[in-house]
Formats: sequence, structure tokens, C-alpha cells
Amino acid sequence: MANLFKNLLITFTFLITGLLVFAIAALFMVPELSDVWQSFWSEEMLYSLRLSLWTGLISTGLVMVFSLPIGYSLSRFQFFGKGFAKTIIDLPVAFPELVLGLCLLLLFGNTFVGRIFQWMGLNFVFTKQGVVAAQFFTALPYASRIMKSTFDYIDPRMEFVSRSLGYSMSETFMNVSLPLAKNGIMASTVIAFARCIGTFGTVLILAGGTYMKTEVLPMTLYLNISYGNMGMALTSGIVLMVVSFLAIYVFERTEAAL
Amino acid sequence: MSFLTVEDLHINLGEFYLKEVFFQLDQGDYLTIIGPTGAGKTILLESLIGFWAPDKGRIYLEGKEITKEPPEHRRIGIVYQDYALLPHFSVFKNIAYGLKKKYKHGIEERVRDIASALCIDHLLHRKPATLSGGEQQRVALARALVAEPKLLLMDEPFSALDSRTRRDTRLLVKRAIKERHTTVIHVTHDLIDAWFLANKVAVFREGHLLQFGPLDEVFTRPRSEFIADFVGVTMLEGRVKAQEHGLTVIGVDGIDFRSLDEAGVGTDVTLAIRPEDIIVSRGPLEQVSVQNRIEALLEDIVPEGKTSLLRLRAHDMPLSVLVTRNALHQLQLAPGDMVWANIKSANVRIVRDPIGTDIEPVRE
Repeated sequence: MANLFKNLLITFTFLITGLLVFAIAALFMVPELSDVWQSFWSEEMLYSLRLSLWTGLISTGLVMVFSLPIGYSLSRFQFFGKGFAKTIIDLPVAFPELVLGLCLLLLFGNTFVGRIFQWMGLNFVFTKQGVVAAQFFTALPYASRIMKSTFDYIDPRMEFVSRSLGYSMSETFMNVSLPLAKNGIMASTVIAFARCIGTFGTVLILAGGTYMKTEVLPMTLYLNISYGNMGMALTSGIVLMVVSFLAIYVFERTEAAL
Repeated sequence: MSFLTVEDLHINLGEFYLKEVFFQLDQGDYLTIIGPTGAGKTILLESLIGFWAPDKGRIYLEGKEITKEPPEHRRIGIVYQDYALLPHFSVFKNIAYGLKKKYKHGIEERVRDIASALCIDHLLHRKPATLSGGEQQRVALARALVAEPKLLLMDEPFSALDSRTRRDTRLLVKRAIKERHTTVIHVTHDLIDAWFLANKVAVFREGHLLQFGPLDEVFTRPRSEFIADFVGVTMLEGRVKAQEHGLTVIGVDGIDFRSLDEAGVGTDVTLAIRPEDIIVSRGPLEQVSVQNRIEALLEDIVPEGKTSLLRLRAHDMPLSVLVTRNALHQLQLAPGDMVWANIKSANVRIVRDPIGTDIEPVRE
């Protein structure tokens, strides 16, 4: 009976794994290799790839700058409004990307927050800066959650000992917490980058899907599928898939080392 | 002026709390804190070091109030049960970590000195994860001691070690601390730590300090049945019948005990007798100085390593006796035998009247 139950569970696992493997394989098997090669070197694809990489790197950098203190505060400190802050920061994980994009569009549009940013020279609506903002808000909750669990796993008594030996809280953070969190930081960075590169809905609503302006890889896939240009659509899909595979591989390796 | 004064300390962390904690230590004192799990022992250490802010009360170190001082300014060291060594540092760097904050020169010499004193000088290049439990504990102790703390706190430092390593480490700790004349507060579940290392003992239960005092006083004159049970003392309730030849005669369940301690005739008292202070014999001992000879039934024998605990009963009165395995073998004792318990009057202590079983915090 126990064996039957065990085999049933394993069958479910392999059923879904098999379906996903076929879906991924289809992406590589359907197009002609020469088509993919040609599409890859097209002006649009290179623009899209460059924009994705640049915005992805900037967004990931910003995400990490914010997710480290957020993760540490949520893990270590008790403060008024902690539960509320945690819920709101986590909310975009459950939010449809399109709704998040709409919220950001309204915020950065004609509100005082939007005007403050515009006064600072930052205009997020239908611009490349908007791509970064959209990627940032989509990836931040994932990175913050990983950083929080990373710091949860670090024994706070190591920090206590450091404080008792004469080091301040900030020195202890730099000498003890940060080096011990290096694997978590790596995993968080990788996941944040993958999320940034793959963000579609939020970017579409906030930054728009303008050809060769705010066109990141998911947008290339969407625009070309709309035109019926399958070669370009499949090529951008393959590039996104390769980035995701690399991200998951690095994440799994660093998670195993945690 | 006391070296350390804890005054009316209250702290509530939800699951764990401390209430009305008062005590004082002199420089060079070695205090062991004992009590069941959840008694608030670790919170006390972590509030002394400054990781938890008390809700009420004050802490003074060398006459200066440190209640609101950040931990890095208190110069109080801590050693944890699971060592809390920094895994990304070598043993050398772990020990030198506190020194780097204080000194620019002479760090290596100081690290080598303390490492040599604790027999870990051959491990300095290793990472903590490659060391045994005993070695890691000595590294943690070296790291704390080398920073020359005014007060050293140890939270069950030997409990993760096997018995032989524990014994060796205890010896090394005793020597290292004695040489430096360090004041220590040591939380433990092992009464041997208290016997071997401490000159003062504090007993905690459910956040309250039940008894605080010199080692001998706590172990021979416990203030409550709970403490007596915890430190392995038999407590008996009786009434003083007479004063005879400088001895107090106390009647307990129809048996007369003679004690050197004084108490007024007719008062209700509690007697405390340590299990190792009772001598067991097959028959009554003749022509010896022992003033208390009680015939009792041997109900049970509980082996405890190299010793055994004999549970005796005389009338309705229980007595616990500690004997060596060798003595047990020589006397050929078995449950059901009738034996004699012989106790010197100096070892029958009158503690107080009557026995307190409730939590009653102590104010020193």
C-alpha cells in the first residue's frame, strides 16, 4: 500500500516534469537553426538583448541595494509595522504583473511622487527608466525573501559575540553577517536578474512596448508573435530560456552550498 | 562596592522572562546558575551583555551603570554552548578578532599565548568546522578570554562535549580563569560544574531567582523543596524536641535527628541532608562519633556512572544516599535489605521553617 502511494506520487512528479521537458524541447526543435542564427544577429534582436542586459544589470544592482537592508531588518529586528511592511513588500509576488504595472503607472504619472521623480530628472512613464523601475518592483520581493531567509539561517549569536568583542552593529554587519550571507546574496542576485530579464507585464504597462525603444526580450517575443514573425519570437524565447537555465543552475548550486 | 550589581531586573520576551532579579558579585567570583530549561538563565546572560534591554531594573559593573550601554562598550565576554565561532575565519582570526579592535601591535603574541594556555596552539591555521567539539569550545573560550573581559559569561559551555572532554576542558578553564582572576557567570545543568568551578550558586525557576549564595550554603541549605530536589538534597520536616549537650534534637516521623545547628525547642524546622553525607552500613556502627544512626529499608538502587544512588525509607521518611560502585560491591546490597544510615550531626542542617514549595524570589 505504501509502495503504491509512493509510486503514485512519483508518477505525478514525472508527468509534469515530462510535459515541461517537451514544452522546453519544442522551443528548440520547432525553428530552423539557420533562422534562429539569422534572427539572433538582427538589429532588433541585438537592441533588445542589449537593452535587456543593461536594464537587467541596473535593476538587479538596485534590487540588491534595497533587498539586503530589507531582508536584514525583517530577519533581525522587531519594530512597529513590521508585519505590514513585510506583507506589502511581498505583495507583488502574488500580484498579476499587469496590475503592478498599472499601480506603478498611476504612481509615477500625475501624482506628487511622480512629480518629485520628474523634478529629479527621472521619468518612468514609457521610458527606459520605466523599464528599470518595472523590473525593480517585480524582482524586489523575490530578492528580499531570499535575503530574509538567508539572514534567518545565520545564528544571531555570532553577531552577539562580535558585539561583545567591541564591534558596533554596522561593523558586525560588515564583518560577520555579510560574509556569512554571501551564498544567499549570490542566489538572490541570480534570481533577481532572471526576474528582471523576464519581466513582461509590468514593463508593458509602465514603460510601454515600443519597437526599438523600450523593447526588452519578452517584448520582442510578444511583438513578433503579434506580427506572425515566429523566427524572431522563438529566438527571443530561446535567449530568455538560456538566461533562466543559467540562473536556476547558479541558484541551485549556491543554495546547495548554503 | 560590589563588582557587579543586578537590581530588580525585569525582562519579558514572551516565551521567556525574568522577574525581580537581585544579586551582587565580587571581583573574582565564579557564579554558576542552575535551573530547569526555560528558567530564564540564558536571557539573564544576554541582558547582562546588552542584547536585550530590560523592561525594568538596573545593572552596575564596577560601580558604573551599564543598563543602557551598547554591548560593544560593556567589555563583557560570552561563550556559548555551540561555540558561535565565525566559520569564515581561521582559528587564529577567530581569536584575534576581538584584539584587532583594541590593539595595533602584539596581536599574534597574545593569540599564541592564550592558544598555548588552552592547548590549541597547533590548530591556529585550521577552520572551525574541522575541529572537534572540545577544540572548538577551547577556541571560543580563548577568543573571549584574550579580549580581557571584565566579566565572562558562559552559557552551558561543556554540555555538548563527551564526559572525558568535558572533564579535561573543565580543568583547562579552571586554570585559565584562575590565572586571570576573571569574574565568571556560568549557566549549567551539570552540578559537577558548580562543585568544581564555582564559589557562588544561583538557582532560577520560571524567571525567578529562588536562591543565591555561597556554593556550600545553596547545596547544603536549600531554601525550598524544588531547590533541594534540583541539587539532590533530602529535605525533612520536623519539630525541635530538645537541646542536649550542645546538639539540637529534631523529631521526624518518630525518628530523632541530632544537629549542630541551633533552633528553639517546639519550633517546626526543615532538615537538609546531602546524599554523599550519609554512610551506609549493614549493621549499627559501634564506638564511632556518628550521632545519627537510622535503620532503613533499601527500596531501590539507581546506578549513576561511578556511583549509585540508594533510595532508603525509614518509617515514612525517604533518604537518598550516594555510594561508590566499589562500596556497593563490598556491602553486597540489594533492594529489600535492611541497612543503617549513619549521619554526623554537622551534616544535618537546619534550613528554615517551614519548607517553601512555591516560587519565592530572593532579594540579596
